[in-house]
Amino acid sequence: MLENIGLMKGIGGKMNWLNQRQTVLSQNIANADTPSYRPHDLEKVDFGEVMGRASNRPKIGKVTTNGAHIGANSEVGDADNRKSKTVYEAAPGENAVIIEEQLLKAGKTQADYNLITNLYKKNVGMLQMAVSSK
Amino acid sequence: MGSILSAMDISAAGMRVQGDRIGVVSQNIANADTAANTPNSEPYRRKSVIFKNELDRATGVNKVTVDRVVEDPSNDFKLKYMPSHPGADQNGYIRLPNINTLIETMDMKEAQRSYEANMGMLKISKGMLGKTIDLIGK
Repeated sequence: MLENIGLMKGIGGKMNWLNQRQTVLSQNIANADTPSYRPHDLEKVDFGEVMGRASNRPKIGKVTTNGAHIGANSEVGDADNRKSKTVYEAAPGENAVIIEEQLLKAGKTQADYNLITNLYKKNVGMLQMAVSSK
Repeated sequence: MGSILSAMDISAAGMRVQGDRIGVVSQNIANADTAANTPNSEPYRRKSVIFKNELDRATGVNKVTVDRVVEDPSNDFKLKYMPSHPGADQNGYIRLPNINTLIETMDMKEAQRSYEANMGMLKISKGMLGKTIDLIGK
């Protein structure tokens, strides 16, 4: 039920994106010694825009019954997993994973995740306040 | 949720291969003085590990695995004068492995750091999972 609320959907989409990014970064670190491995990263998704669309959309949303249909406004698409074009440096074995760089990204992902779970908590708290009699 | 668990799986696989690498390095250091037993045979050769990223069908994610363990092809054997050794040649020299313990120690440190990096990722993933589970509490 909660996912029908545009804001919650946006938050869920962002959490999903951060989880996927964490998987990609783990992949990079695990392959820090694999010959000719290039690090990957997820494409950035403009969640500000997603949120804007979710909160300003018309009250009646569209139903998608086919994968080719244009999704409802609050839909959050899957981000592309791409090879990083710019890397700090590449080792002689053509491995371009720099552990510091990947850990920095992971730390950022974690911080964003903390922020988003706290936001979720706050929203649920607001809803609880609205429905409780206290 | 599935993806954060696979992130932890991937980090665990990374830790496992670094463990294997440490095993091979230990083997090299332990055999640094393993000379040939006959004048014509070769002493122990230095071994190293090659990794690859491979699809794990059980979980559907790419995990790092040990591709193969290769022998160092260099014939950089050290000679030592030991005429009483069964492996000594007509001049009284035996051949010792192509191992430089300094390089092995460096390799060991590198494996250790990579292991720690994977552990760091695992900790972050675990923290994120914990945060999600905490949502139930409030």
